Amino acid sequence: MNTIAALEQAEKLLTPWTKEAVRPEPNRLDVTIAGLDLYACAAALKQEPWGYLSAITGLDLGLEVGELETLYHFCEGAAITTLRVRLLRQGGSVPTLYPLFPVASFFERELSEMFGIEVTGTPDPSRLFIPDDWPVNVYPLLKDFDPKVVQPRQADSPRSFQPQDGQTFYVPIGPQHPALKEPGHFEFTVDGEVIVGARMRLGYVHRGIEKATESQNWVQNLYLLERVCGICSHTHATAYVLGVERLAGVETPPRAQAIRELIAGLERIHSHLLWLGVSAHEAGFDTLFMYSWRDRETVMDILENLSGNRVNYSANIIGGVKFDIYPEHAKTIRQGLDFLEERIRHYLDIVTTDILFLQRTRGIGRISREEAAHLGLLGPTARASGVVRDVRIEAPYGPYSHYPVSIVTSEAGDLEARFVVRLKELFVTINTIRVIMDNLPESDLSVRVPRRIPAGETISRVEAPRGEVFYFIKSDGTDRPERIKVRTPSLCNWTAVLSKAVGSQLADAPLLIAGMDPCFSCNDRMITVKRLDGK
Amino acid sequence: MMFSALKPILQILIFPAGLFLVASGIVVEWIDRKLVARLQNRVGPRWFQILADIVKLLAKEEILPSAANPWLFIGLPMIALAGCMTAALYVPLMGLSPAYSFSGDLIVTLYLLSLLTLSKGLAGWNTSSRFSLVGATRGLTQLFAYEAPFLLALLGPAIVAGSWQIDVIMQRNSSSWIILTQPIGFLVALIGLMGKLELPPFDAPEAETEIVAGAMTDYSGRGLAIFNIAKSVEFVIGLTLVAAFYLGGLNNPLEYLLKTFFILVVLIGLQTLLTRLRIDQTVGLWWRYGAILVLIQWMILIIWKESILL
Repeated sequence: MNTIAALEQAEKLLTPWTKEAVRPEPNRLDVTIAGLDLYACAAALKQEPWGYLSAITGLDLGLEVGELETLYHFCEGAAITTLRVRLLRQGGSVPTLYPLFPVASFFERELSEMFGIEVTGTPDPSRLFIPDDWPVNVYPLLKDFDPKVVQPRQADSPRSFQPQDGQTFYVPIGPQHPALKEPGHFEFTVDGEVIVGARMRLGYVHRGIEKATESQNWVQNLYLLERVCGICSHTHATAYVLGVERLAGVETPPRAQAIRELIAGLERIHSHLLWLGVSAHEAGFDTLFMYSWRDRETVMDILENLSGNRVNYSANIIGGVKFDIYPEHAKTIRQGLDFLEERIRHYLDIVTTDILFLQRTRGIGRISREEAAHLGLLGPTARASGVVRDVRIEAPYGPYSHYPVSIVTSEAGDLEARFVVRLKELFVTINTIRVIMDNLPESDLSVRVPRRIPAGETISRVEAPRGEVFYFIKSDGTDRPERIKVRTPSLCNWTAVLSKAVGSQLADAPLLIAGMDPCFSCNDRMITVKRLDGK
Repeated sequence: MMFSALKPILQILIFPAGLFLVASGIVVEWIDRKLVARLQNRVGPRWFQILADIVKLLAKEEILPSAANPWLFIGLPMIALAGCMTAALYVPLMGLSPAYSFSGDLIVTLYLLSLLTLSKGLAGWNTSSRFSLVGATRGLTQLFAYEAPFLLALLGPAIVAGSWQIDVIMQRNSSSWIILTQPIGFLVALIGLMGKLELPPFDAPEAETEIVAGAMTDYSGRGLAIFNIAKSVEFVIGLTLVAAFYLGGLNNPLEYLLKTFFILVVLIGLQTLLTRLRIDQTVGLWWRYGAILVLIQWMILIIWKESILL
């Protein structure tokens, strides 16, 4: 289904409730509806089915207008339909979409704690990101939010893990736990070795980046957003610059686009190898962990060689890239890729043939294609369940129309499939990088972009190693963004992990969590910390 | 000739001195960790690392959880170490004849060796940490899985020798290598030893990615050091037993060193290659394969012995 046809279909589906429908961009439909009709609209889209719920954005239109907007973004291929609901600034409420799209639960928790919008009927209204001692009725993403008013209140009494009814037995994992080197908190209720309940809490490393973008100019924000994630830093910067370039109406030179995809490929290799090591460690196979991380150094060296940095390569600038690929770079990259290709083939062989390792992965945490679609899974985790979901293919952005990638899917949907899909993706990535290096177009590396970005809204979607990264960017015509919303892929995959953890063995839980390649720091990004100097 | 002259001197130095046991435990653990690290492409610990760890732990404050029974908390590591040390009396350390020997000491030794796992189980139950509790449950479950096959595997050579006395079994079998006639028994004994020592892939009771340090989570300082020493000592005794029974006896220190090192290297290779098993998989493996294989071995042995006698 092409984009135009998809948008027309969506428009037709939503006609009964539409107050106003516009096409702000060729691939987007923006429908204003009443809050009461939201559930019906979402149900109509779900019924068809038309796309998946990709993100919910909250917008504060300011004190003068006195209204808030919530934007529900649905994606189908390259087409994006946004349902726009206007709410009063005080006491606004929207119905939950949880029964239709389970993933909405996380988005809605974020929405209500950041904007004070009440979500009616939600299964879990508790805080997801902001700390327990955050004052009540202070919502950080409102425009009139003043950091000075944030006085930590007495937190609720520390949560006790002692069983209330004398029956349940909690095993807490995180935020400090050897299983989880990252700051998330899981509570598994166990019966012997079997998990019978699972809950989670995020937000231990919120840095308030979304709020901070509103007080920095467009160029400064590039550096800020690159630091949303330590692993897919390039992806976040790319998503941001693609959106800003679209708003500014500039065309990036082809060589810069090619270099962007090349860096993205290298990033995917290092991210997937990192994940392979972590997962092997969670399964108790430390030898594979050590070897895969040793080999990962090859690609880290390449990135350092190209950019001077191992993690935040800072390749992007608005309107182009910062550095070129010289012939001597190309030679090191090729050698590194040849080595890695051979090693990855070996690892693929191990994870598909080692009997003991297969005992820990084959048939564990199986997610069927229907479940994956219903739960709104993204990235390799979705592809391992046979769902074709890859922004690079569904909605090729930037250079991906010139250097297409092929999709790797599996029907098995278990942990083994997630290993196989990720490793096979690396072969595709390696080949794409080779193609790019053989066909690097000659052009400038960047174009000039005005300091002030014309007013408008845009949505930028980029495929990170973990899945779709969603950026909503709104400019009011000044040198600062009005609002930047970031939705990272891990947030969409939690629902599946939690639902799959229930009923499985406690010993499988770490591998189940690792299996979706969660990235905590990019999940957590939005808390505003009171600055000591009072500014 | 030379060895017979040295024997009394060595015996005085080595038996029944605990210091020697601790030292050899430290060496074995260091070889284990160093070789595993090298096989995993890591640098591994320096030669004095294990000793330094023990000294450090012994010098550190021991934190007593308020929910734990203090007597049990402090006493259990000692019982575990005492069990291992006592077991050392009945095995041919360094290829010298055991300090004490009586008919049936094989059974006593094996039970003394189980004290470590039992103590750990009790220690895990004694503290209020849920990781300890899960770890203790897993440790005891694993005990029930490997103990019987391991025992049966060590009784194989005993049947051939017609005695349940370690020294006698070793002497009678020293002319032939039982590993050649009872390969299944050797394999089960080897893997049983890994289960006993909770080495990978049988490290579910202390799987750090799931339950931190298992039953040892609340232990710090002296208690942890003593438990670690006990494990090292048990490692030495286990290696000695398997080498003595299956590798043609231990007649002098050189033979002892070579044979135990051979077994140690095999164990290290297995540790490096295998993925941790879940506790249900461990139990399944032992009862579905380990126990049945050993029983088949036994039947062959008994039929063979009967036919010889007839």
